[in-house]
Amino acid sequence: MKFFFPDSQDLVDPGFDFEKERWSEARIRQRDDRYAHEIFRKRAFDGLLVSKGIVDGFGGVGSRYSLGQRNRLLRNGVREFFRLDNAPYDLPVMGDCGAFTYVKERVPPYTVDQVIQFYSDCQFDFGLSVDHVIFEFKSTWDADEAAVPPEIRERQAITLQLAREFLDRHRKSKPMFSAVGVAQGWSPNSYANAVKALQSMGYRYIAMGGMVPLKTPEILASLAAVAGVRKPSTKLHLLGVTRTEAIPRFASYGVASFDSTSPLRQAFKDDRDNYYTLDGAFTAIRIPQVEGNATLQKLVLSGAVDQAIARRLERACLAVMRDYEAGKAGVKDVVRVLMEYEHLARPHRSDSPVSKRRRSSTDNESAYREVLEVAPWRNCACEVCRQLGHHVILFRGAERNRRRGFHNLYVFYRRLQRELGRSAEAAA
Amino acid sequence: MFAVDGKVVPKFAAVSRIRRAGHDVAGYQRPEVLAHIDEIRSYVESDNPMIPNAVVLAFDKRVRFESALGPTGTYTRPGEIIIPMENGWEEEDKPGFIVDGQQRLAAVREAEVEAFPLCVTAFITDDLKQQTEQFILVNSTKPLPKGLIYELLPNTVARLSSALNKRRFPAELLTLLNRDENSPMKGLIQTPTNPQGVIKDNSILRMLEASLSEGVLYRHKTKEGADVEAMFSLLCAYWGAVRIVFEDAWGKPPKKSRLMHGAGILSMGHVMDWVGDRHRGKRLPTVDIFARDLGPLRDVCRWTDGVWDFGPGQQRKWNELQNTSKDIQLLANHLLVQYKTRVGSAA
Ligand SMILES: [Zn+2]
Repeated sequence: MKFFFPDSQDLVDPGFDFEKERWSEARIRQRDDRYAHEIFRKRAFDGLLVSKGIVDGFGGVGSRYSLGQRNRLLRNGVREFFRLDNAPYDLPVMGDCGAFTYVKERVPPYTVDQVIQFYSDCQFDFGLSVDHVIFEFKSTWDADEAAVPPEIRERQAITLQLAREFLDRHRKSKPMFSAVGVAQGWSPNSYANAVKALQSMGYRYIAMGGMVPLKTPEILASLAAVAGVRKPSTKLHLLGVTRTEAIPRFASYGVASFDSTSPLRQAFKDDRDNYYTLDGAFTAIRIPQVEGNATLQKLVLSGAVDQAIARRLERACLAVMRDYEAGKAGVKDVVRVLMEYEHLARPHRSDSPVSKRRRSSTDNESAYREVLEVAPWRNCACEVCRQLGHHVILFRGAERNRRRGFHNLYVFYRRLQRELGRSAEAAA
Repeated sequence: MFAVDGKVVPKFAAVSRIRRAGHDVAGYQRPEVLAHIDEIRSYVESDNPMIPNAVVLAFDKRVRFESALGPTGTYTRPGEIIIPMENGWEEEDKPGFIVDGQQRLAAVREAEVEAFPLCVTAFITDDLKQQTEQFILVNSTKPLPKGLIYELLPNTVARLSSALNKRRFPAELLTLLNRDENSPMKGLIQTPTNPQGVIKDNSILRMLEASLSEGVLYRHKTKEGADVEAMFSLLCAYWGAVRIVFEDAWGKPPKKSRLMHGAGILSMGHVMDWVGDRHRGKRLPTVDIFARDLGPLRDVCRWTDGVWDFGPGQQRKWNELQNTSKDIQLLANHLLVQYKTRVGSAA
């Protein structure tokens, strides 16, 4: 099973100064920065997924690329733009339309020709047909066909029609990339029907779309239905699905590849699981920047928090972490300083209802104690942890948070290999 | 006025930081701007730094001035200023308040230097109103116009703020383009000292910056810095070709020609990067090569009159294109698509 990592221009500045918190002088974005595959000598993923929606931006979703970067990608192609040849292993690149960026439209905003042009310009290895996401899912609709809303049926019909056109143009113009069909559905049977239709058009590699919000049993039920129609030679790709625990079962249903951003995103989006280990995850230690953290900034500007005190505590937190790493401070000291800053930076206000999902300080206190006692970064062999030491566990600014995301990718890939009964070293 | 080691000032002067006192707002200073402090700090830690402008302090009546013997009746008199100083003072115990210069003082306080001399202008008052007035007065002066700063940039060598440092090299290229005999843009770029120019300096700077990070100019960066000569001759060749191909639109004010307008300069800058990459095998394409490549675009351009055809339902009158990123993207994409179909793809 191959793991594709979706690009969202996740880069780090290799010259970032963690003590002074400064980017390297005269750095040019992207050019002087590094992707995960330029940091790790051993594999952390099997390929990249690049979306037209991310490159171009659509509607309210702004592009992650400047106009100049986008033009350079189209001029020079993905291998050169992503410096894929800097990685000591092969990384194929898959292109898709990024259907989530235009999910609110009635029809996809791109023509088949535009998308084929995009895939050819970027020199992708695989190109996905133009699709229209269906987010609704109800297994019961299989027993009651008439209940399926017409606009949902229409989305599947559009997706299949575009897949037909896509393959047709692909056969005529013979671009370098291989065509992958996209299946959209709202239930196990409707997914099976889509796969059946795509196979009869001639697709041998089919991506399953719209499964991101589904529960694992729903995905498995759909794959089981698909298994009833799937030809042995047809490979499946799961778009945006990460369930390592279900990987062996996915494989038994013919899933050859999947993609997911969650190992990276969890590093700074999750409330709790920020730092992956082979068997679990730890919470990262929050030391927000007095300048650069919106919540704290507001408190300072309004006069509710004294900036000088905030800065002093922020520095004290960084210093005590440094001392802890050097063996000069104990867990108790560290937690005391961290909590002092946390009480200042996130004052508990009785007049505003605290949302239930937000973790309380006592949660953090025990989570911090736990991660400090284990100090998991000391036992990680990845380049990020080797170079950064304790900075990798600090929830603070993009340079640290993204590097922790890279570490998660590295660990995730090793979990995956273990699930598949392979050793990651053999795979690399 | 007196001179003092900036590291000592925090011992006797406090910042009257804006804060809540019950229901009212007390104090008048903004919070420290850390990014700004960091810039000054880097400067203080650099070689031969100097902060010539004085910081302004307000002292309460505990501070005394004892003049020395000598002539009286002039504006200046030597003497001794006596400032009480005690270890362990709380902020509110200190006899001095920083009226102007808190960012500079914070930078000196944090800089990794032994000491740093600063000029101080001080006045003695117990009146908070007077301090606040002075604070408003010194902080409401108008900053220098950006264009003038850019014109002065090429003649500086000191470490400036990162934002200005990044602009220094493009500003140098701009000066060359505006002054050199061989430049097709000679005298055409509008700057504070060349107000009759037709192309806004900012359009040229943005075009150069885009190419320096994403386009052909990037290819002429070296480990030591940049091959200015190569960049300049490339720019002359390309824009010389633009002048030849779009002769009618060249050199006119932007109201009469969209080519000289921000949208025109920036989108033609993106075309430059595309054409440059198509010829990446050659180190420096000539005017003729560029002109041959640009020729086929003449038919689709509407710089001075007519209607641009950006595809079904997307027509725009020539003078409706604005200097917005949306319009620049629209125009650049159009030109690139036309270029690709008429001439060819990048290598
Ligand atoms: Zn690691």
